[in-house]
Order: sequence, then structure tokens, then C-alpha cells
Amino acid sequence: MGAPPGLQADCEELLSRFQETDSVRFEDFSALWRSMKFGTIFCGKMRNLEKNTFTKEALALAWRYFLPPYAFQIRVGALYLLYGLYNTQLCQPKQKIRVALRDWDEILKFQQDLINSEHFDVAYIFRKLRLDKAFHFTAMPKLLSFRMKKKVQRTPVTEEFKEPNDRVMKLITSDVLEEMLNVHDLYQNMKHVISADKSNPNKTLSLVKDDFFDNIKTIILEHQQWHKDRKNPSLKLKGKDGEEKMEGNSQESESCERAASLAKIKSKAFAVVVQASKSRRHRQVRLDSSDSDSASGQATREKRNKETLKSAGRKKSSRKRGNF
Amino acid sequence: MAESSPGVPTSSGVCSEQDPVASSGGCNFPEYEMPELNTRAFHVGAFGELWRDRLRGQGDLSLKEPPASELPGQGGVADPGWDDAAVARDLGCDLEAATELRAVCGLDKLQCLEEDEDPEVIPQDTDLVTLGVRKKLLEHREETLTIDRACRQEILAYEMESHAIGKKPENPADMIEEGELILSVNVLYPVIFHKHKEHKPYQTILVLGNQKLTELRDSICCVSDLQIGGEFSNTPDQAPEHISKDIYKSAFFYFEGTFYNDRRYPECRDLSRTIIEWSEAHDRGYGKFKTAKMEDFTFNDLNIKLGFPYLYCHQGDCEHVVVITDIRLVHRDDCLDRTLYPLLIKKHWLWTRKCFVCKMYTARWVTNNDSFAPDDPCFFCDACFRMLHYDSEGNKLGEFLAYPYVDPGTFN
Repeated sequence: MGAPPGLQADCEELLSRFQETDSVRFEDFSALWRSMKFGTIFCGKMRNLEKNTFTKEALALAWRYFLPPYAFQIRVGALYLLYGLYNTQLCQPKQKIRVALRDWDEILKFQQDLINSEHFDVAYIFRKLRLDKAFHFTAMPKLLSFRMKKKVQRTPVTEEFKEPNDRVMKLITSDVLEEMLNVHDLYQNMKHVISADKSNPNKTLSLVKDDFFDNIKTIILEHQQWHKDRKNPSLKLKGKDGEEKMEGNSQESESCERAASLAKIKSKAFAVVVQASKSRRHRQVRLDSSDSDSASGQATREKRNKETLKSAGRKKSSRKRGNF
Repeated sequence: MAESSPGVPTSSGVCSEQDPVASSGGCNFPEYEMPELNTRAFHVGAFGELWRDRLRGQGDLSLKEPPASELPGQGGVADPGWDDAAVARDLGCDLEAATELRAVCGLDKLQCLEEDEDPEVIPQDTDLVTLGVRKKLLEHREETLTIDRACRQEILAYEMESHAIGKKPENPADMIEEGELILSVNVLYPVIFHKHKEHKPYQTILVLGNQKLTELRDSICCVSDLQIGGEFSNTPDQAPEHISKDIYKSAFFYFEGTFYNDRRYPECRDLSRTIIEWSEAHDRGYGKFKTAKMEDFTFNDLNIKLGFPYLYCHQGDCEHVVVITDIRLVHRDDCLDRTLYPLLIKKHWLWTRKCFVCKMYTARWVTNNDSFAPDDPCFFCDACFRMLHYDSEGNKLGEFLAYPYVDPGTFN
């Protein structure tokens, strides 16, 4: 069937209304559910076969919103949505929710977070679904039947629901930056040590700009600022002051700065994906936003790193030879 | 399409992007190799173990019926899972909170229809886009259709999908165990008709992880197995003694670089030998193929890619593309009778060729060089065939060649 027409619009409507309530309580969700009469989505003289297919598609659609990269509130909303759809479906026996192995660990982590932060209603609902045996434990999220002719549909991630992209922050931690600075210093010292004139290293060895770290920091701060401004134009002024304050900070927060700075560059580079030409379509870099990638993600990430470093290098043409 | 050896993902000729990172020492997490198309190779049994490890001891794997007193949402006291105390324990909240949760998250909070409202009728004042679309469709159906009911194909499809659901075996020894894997296998029909060029018809078979490959082989019904060899125009009454299935017993499956040959009977030959010799004759870039015995392997022993086309070959040259579409753990609502597996849950409805004369019965004979027939070849049902080609004493009239015909739609 593919996605039934209008279903995605309805689900996103419900989720965005839930997002506006700024709450994660089931009471609020169920109030919205009742006001939209979402349970009637199964009404309308569907015969058995169509009912089965429709319900399967509905559950698969709602499931997508339950996994990263969606924001926490959206994920909670998706869980409530799944609960609602599962219990109001008209199929007998009930259609189940498919869980792939690679997503299960992420889900358990999510559940643990819920319990730790005392979001008991969310945890209760997840527990209830599990006790109801609402899940099918599968290898992959959907059935793969190698239909070559059908266009491969990359389901687009709804931007408004996405978690603000801090994966980059997680990637470039302050530890990594500390280490980079240490390496840089060591390198500079090494140059001094091995050159004949102790104070002035050999000119042929100046392959790295000495102040590249400060440059990165500035770029990243700018980017972070831009990111913030894009989201909240009213905070623009506030941000500028904050930036100035940050300049004169102590060593500790400088490393966080550096973390942020580097993170900014990377996120800026990553956010832009060049559309490959038709002949290079198979090497199309895609913006992979799923956290739960393991080995396969690794390869694409490495490739992406190379490509985006290249593009980053091209952008910063004024700072030539920024050897990262 | 050949791989060098099972378990090590290498480039598979068909268009997949090369993944330079080899799966770390038998990593069995199914991951996409070609996004949305197929996964990398992984070991089925090990995958099952990964799931079981994660779910053991928590009741997820259990196939037991829910206790009768458990009323969803009401928290039947008999089942310890629903107990408020159990909730409090699992979530780390107090008993009062647990009781409150039960009230707040009850199923009554999801009710959108009144008691008297019919779920068949779409409510008038709805904002849902889905319902708007569906309403239009229903109105269109009402306007254009005289009788609005399911056609035979739809009834068949639904029946096949659901006929075995929830079945329990009479003999408890035939009960499927917890944590068993169910594989969903698509077996495509060998292309016979032009109209099937774009979307090949297939049948879907569910098979258990611990079933042997031979069990799947036996359950695949293909019309070429029923072919009767021989020309029978002179002896139409002579019941043919053997169908092809009995004579040509060889078959093989090809998965990930290994040919699994059926060697149960002495007549079975190694059909894959030809291919292997061909591949080794020159350096064709396919790597080393292996052979094995089909009856020695279960599905749990295999390394396979999900969604990737493999091959089943029987009758020497009847080839079926085989795609394993899904693997999952067995669930309480599935068919739990082991003897019913491999279970056919979907098959393509093929229109049978009808007799040229009466246009009513399915053709059972086909003739060539027939002076009575307007067409070459021409199809007849048994009665019309005899009436046209033989006199009342059973003597052959005219010149023709007659062969028994088995229609691919025979299995409907």
C-alpha cells in the first residue's frame, strides 16, 4: 500500500499539537487524541484485508517518530500515538508493532531515562505495551523484498520534530579538543627542538597556521550564534553579549568553547550535502541522522568526513591549508 | 552475484555500494547494505540468540495465553503483571502513583466513539485527512459499484494470511518453543507470461528457524513438478505413471556462495556442478563456490542477507528466485503448530487457461499439428478433447500430437 494518503499529515498534526503543549503527560495527549477523535481513523467500512494493511502501515509510520533523531517530546508523543493506534485498531487479532534488533538497545536506554527522570506515565505505557505483547521482535523494521523497479523512498525526517543537532557536540567533546591542543603544542615544541635555531623553527616546517585553533574557535562560535539566531531571532542581542563574555573566560570553559567551536564547524559542514551528479549517484553523500548506525554508518561517515572536510576547506579559502 | 565465502561481505556484483568495513568478527546485527533494499550477510541462529539474550527472563518471549481474568486496562488482579504493586516496583514509584497511573492511562481515555456509534460509519465532523480521503473513496464506490463486496482473490488473500493464526497443535510435542525464529520467504514463480515482466508473481512461505532446507523444498509447489512427459495421442487413457516430481528429484538452493544440493535419494544429482565447473574454468571473478547437502542444514545454520535474491533450482532448469524478506521471533498470536510449517501465507492468483471448445473447464490437454484445431498449440479439457479427436469406439481420428497439460493456475 505504501503510506496511506493523509495519514502522515494527521499524525504530524497530532504530534505538532502535542509539541505545542510543551508537556509530556499522557493526560494532555489523550485530551488531544479525544479532541481530534483520532480513534476514528480506522472507521469507514474497510474490509479485512485493507484493515490489516492500513493498520500495519499506521503502526510503522508512528514507529518512525519514536526513534532518534526526533526530539524527546516527539518521541514520547509517538509512544502515546502507538499506544492509541494499537488499542483502537479494529483488526482481530491485533496487528503488532515491529521492533528491529538494532533499535532495541536505544529503546531500553530511552526507557531507563524515563524512569530516571520520573516520567512515570510514559514508562507505564511502554511497560503496558510490552505486557500486552504488542511487539514483534524482528531483524529489520520493514519487509525487504528487493523490488528493484519501485523507487526507493527515503522517508524524509520532519524538520520541526527533530532534535536540535547536537550529535556533533557529542562527537567533538572537550576531551578531543584538549587532546588536539596538546598535540598542536607538542608539535610546535617539536619543531623548536629539532631546528637549529631554538627560538625560531625552520621556515620550511611552517605548514600549520599557528593561530588555527583560535580561528576555529571563532568560526564555531559564529556558527553556534547563527544557529541560535536562526531558531530564536529575539535572542540575537543577548547572544552577542554572551559571546563577548565568553572571550575572557578561564581555561576550563575555553575547552568547552573549543568544543563548541569545533562542533560548530562540523555541524555547518555536515548540514550541507552536495547533490551528486547522475553518474555519481551511487556515491551520493546522504545526511545520515540516525544515531543507531553501527558499522555501516561508520563507512559512510568516514567517506562523508573526507568529503565535508574538502568542502570545509574550500569554504575557508582565506585560511588556506588549514590542516585539520 | 557470487560471494567469496559465507560470512564475509564482499562486493556482490549487482550494484551494491562496497562497504569497506568488514563485519567485525561475525557481527550479526542486521544492517542495511543497500539502504532500504537488502542487509549484509549475517548468521540466522546468532541473530536469534542476540534477541533472546536481550529478552530472556522478562516475559516477552512467552507464548502463554493471557490469563482470562486480565481485562485490558482494568488491571485484573489475578495476573501479577497488572498489579499496582508490580507497577510500583518496576517503575520505582509509590503505590498511590501506580493506582493513579492505571486510571490516567486507561483505555477509556482513548475512546473516541460513543456507545451507539458504529465503527463502520465515518463521523461527520472529522478533521482527519485520512478520513476525508476515505469518505471520497466510499462515495465513489457507492456511485459506481452495483454490488460492493470482496472479490474471490481478496477473500483468498485474506484467508491465506490469517487461516493459521493462533492455531495450537493437538499434540503438545508439536508446539513451537519460545524464542523460535520465523522466516518469511518469497519464492517467485519462474517467469512464464509476458504480463509478469514488471511485477513477478510470488508466493510467501513462513518457515521455522530449526526446519531443514529440504522441508522448504518440499513445500514449494511449482507446476513444472507436475509435468507429465510423453506423447499420448494414441493412448489417451493410459494413466501416466510418473510425474516429473518423481523422476527428476534433484534440486538445489543457492545462498551466499554455497549450493545446497538435495541428496536424499540416489537419483538426486548435483545440479550445481555444472555451474561450479563453469565458474572455475576461467577466471570469471566469482570466487570459490561451495557445495553442501540440503538435508544437513537448517535455516538457523545459514548466513544470509535479508531482502537479497537467491536461487532455488529444480527439474534441471526450473529456476525460482528466492528472497528472504523477514525474520522475527515467534509470537503468542502466531500459528504455534510446528506441523503446519512451512506455511503458505500468500500466493499469486493465476488465471487458468480454459478449454478452447467449452471455455468452461480448465485445459488438461494440449495438441500440436492438430487438423481439428484452429490454433497451434490448442488447449482442451478432457471431455472436449475426447469428443473431438476420438470416435465412440475410442479410435484416433485425424493426425495430431497430444500432451497432457498442467496449468500453472492449478494450485489456486
